[in-house]
Amino acid sequence: MKVILQLIGMQWKEARRSPLWNKNLIINIVLAVSFLYLIGMFVLLGVFLDDILIKISVEGIDYRTYKESFVLRRLNQYLLYYFFMDLILRYFIQKLPALSVQPLLHLPISKSKLVHFMLGKSIWSPINWAHGLIFVPFILELFENLPFDESLFWSIGLVSVVYLNNFLLIYIKRTSEVDFRVYLGMLALLVGIVSADWFDLIDFQQISAGVFNAFFLNPISLLAPIGIAAIFYALNFRFLKSNLYMDRLSTSKQSEISYVGAGFLSRFGVVGRLTELEFKFIWRNKRTRSVLLITIMFLGYGLLVFPTDEYAGNHLMYVLFSVIITGMFILNYGQYLLGWEGSHFDHILTRKVDFSDYYKSKFLLFAIVSGSAMLLSIPYAYFGWEILLVVFSVFLFNIGVGSHCVMFFGSLNPKKIDLSKGTVLNWQGVGAAQFMLVIPVLGLPLCLFGIGVIFDSIYLGIGLIAAFGVIGLIGTNIWIGWLAKWLTSQRYKISRDFRNQ
Amino acid sequence: MDIRIEGLTKTFGDYTAVQVDSMHIPSGESFGLIGNNGAGKTTLFRSLIDLIEPSTGSAFIGEFETNKTDSWKAFTGSYLDENFIVGHLLPEEYFDFIASIHGMSESDLANKLAEFETLFNGEITGGKKLIRDLSKGNQKKVGIAAAILFDPKVLVLDEPFANLDPSTQIRLKELLKKLKNDKGVTMLISSHDLAHVTEVCERIVLLEKGDVIEDIKTSSETLKNLENYFSDVGKTSIED
Repeated sequence: MKVILQLIGMQWKEARRSPLWNKNLIINIVLAVSFLYLIGMFVLLGVFLDDILIKISVEGIDYRTYKESFVLRRLNQYLLYYFFMDLILRYFIQKLPALSVQPLLHLPISKSKLVHFMLGKSIWSPINWAHGLIFVPFILELFENLPFDESLFWSIGLVSVVYLNNFLLIYIKRTSEVDFRVYLGMLALLVGIVSADWFDLIDFQQISAGVFNAFFLNPISLLAPIGIAAIFYALNFRFLKSNLYMDRLSTSKQSEISYVGAGFLSRFGVVGRLTELEFKFIWRNKRTRSVLLITIMFLGYGLLVFPTDEYAGNHLMYVLFSVIITGMFILNYGQYLLGWEGSHFDHILTRKVDFSDYYKSKFLLFAIVSGSAMLLSIPYAYFGWEILLVVFSVFLFNIGVGSHCVMFFGSLNPKKIDLSKGTVLNWQGVGAAQFMLVIPVLGLPLCLFGIGVIFDSIYLGIGLIAAFGVIGLIGTNIWIGWLAKWLTSQRYKISRDFRNQ
Repeated sequence: MDIRIEGLTKTFGDYTAVQVDSMHIPSGESFGLIGNNGAGKTTLFRSLIDLIEPSTGSAFIGEFETNKTDSWKAFTGSYLDENFIVGHLLPEEYFDFIASIHGMSESDLANKLAEFETLFNGEITGGKKLIRDLSKGNQKKVGIAAAILFDPKVLVLDEPFANLDPSTQIRLKELLKKLKNDKGVTMLISSHDLAHVTEVCERIVLLEKGDVIEDIKTSSETLKNLENYFSDVGKTSIED
């Protein structure tokens, strides 16, 4: 017990002393507000859940047999979907319960104890408690309306399913990291389930209702979720205990990389060469790769928006779409322009490359990615050829004005980025500068287009956006020269900060 | 290419890390810098190659003051720590890049890499591991090779022997001696290993708490004297 308490103390210190705690007040406020907003939304959903469920139209249900438990039975029809979604969401955001065990392995603490501690820790994971935000208000109302024992049994069932998901996911995630086939199997299962539902092969609502109704109608069935959760706990325990060795715990898997020589871009001299290296950089690091993948994913954004009646012919939507398509990468990647390269900044300072060539290579990178995104969005002309016009003008704006602003803010107080982590819920490197960037990149084109709207001509708006872009493009060399001078004046401070981080 | 340091000091708050009044390293000299941790070796090197701003004074490589112009970068090779190598590249890709910014042809590069073959011992090129996944010692080999690759006139290495296996240490020493004798490279090398540094360097400068304590030509007696000095350093201050 004493050991466990000491382990808890160590975890607490690790969390408290983590360099990830943002020292920046503005960021903390923004984070706190978004956090409170999320909590509020969950609680509100929980409070009004019963009203919502009553309003949903129900076909073929005999109200008389359902009586008071109508709402609960209605909810139970959907819970299987809910927990299925929960599992998918967990796959992306739930972290595996890790404990820096390496320094503890040689100490006289039994491995079982360490593993129980690691698994026990996951019980306190916020993603488990977020369910409480929705269901606690609902359960409170349940106790008022249903017999005490039925409410209690159903609640126990719900909690055990939450933890079943918890331990199931940990097991899936950990084994799929080791064995790729698990991942493929899960994907196949997912596709199978979704298509079975889509083509009405299986009635999931009925299954869902059957399972969750059983919890309060037939309490002995509670043993099933509790038992399965326990089985997965045991599987996790066995897996972790037999893998508690330094070489197996290290998460950084080394993949084999093949040599990629100088390509097409190296014809453009040092600048092209640097851009090529940067593409390698983006592809070979997890976090930068996810930035690129998100950009590609958002190319499909138009398919969600344009076919709907609501937004058909909505020109402001065109602008928003174009900004996202052609500006997303510039904004997401460029905001940490220097931060990405924090681990080899001394190399950048001592090599025989001008800082202006350095910035030019970044500009070329932005132009290539943004330009490719523009070309890939040509099929959207199907929904109106004006979309192309808007995309093109916003593309000009993004490389002429957006990229310039991003290059400046990305060089301002850069923070070293840990490249091995993913992007989801990753706040490392975020500073006030990153929020400021939204104004020129998103706000300005919308304002310019707004001027066109005021004068009742979308072409005026499009023209203004394009004109700003062209003017910015003409000034590119001057701006880059200025940035290079600025970096020269800041080089000592930036390299010192990187070395100390 | 010679190196001159004039009235260079670097202070962090009240603490003076380096204080060198005047120092001249003639072209082609091999110059060894020794001193205990915190003596200011790395700080002196960093100030020389313009990674930190000197509080006062200036450093010149050839005619170029290093914090005023970039021209010295074309003929100065340096490797101080892992911040000098680009982790997401394969060693070959990194060498390619260094060669291309120095305008070397592919055959130049191939010849150079052939010279490093014994140093690399088959562990660097031809593999599929990114630099960041190499061991510390192999990363160091990559960094040192990249610093020598383009035939620099000045070479700055911080603790090149640390983390290397004994065979590589011996090969590196031979390589450095060859660079000095055949190419007349001006070399600045810091080390904790007195035997290596006295073997490679013809001149030894001893730093203590940022000050130059000794500046001697290497002789047969040097190693013994230095060993005596370092075993006495702590004791005298305790007796004070």
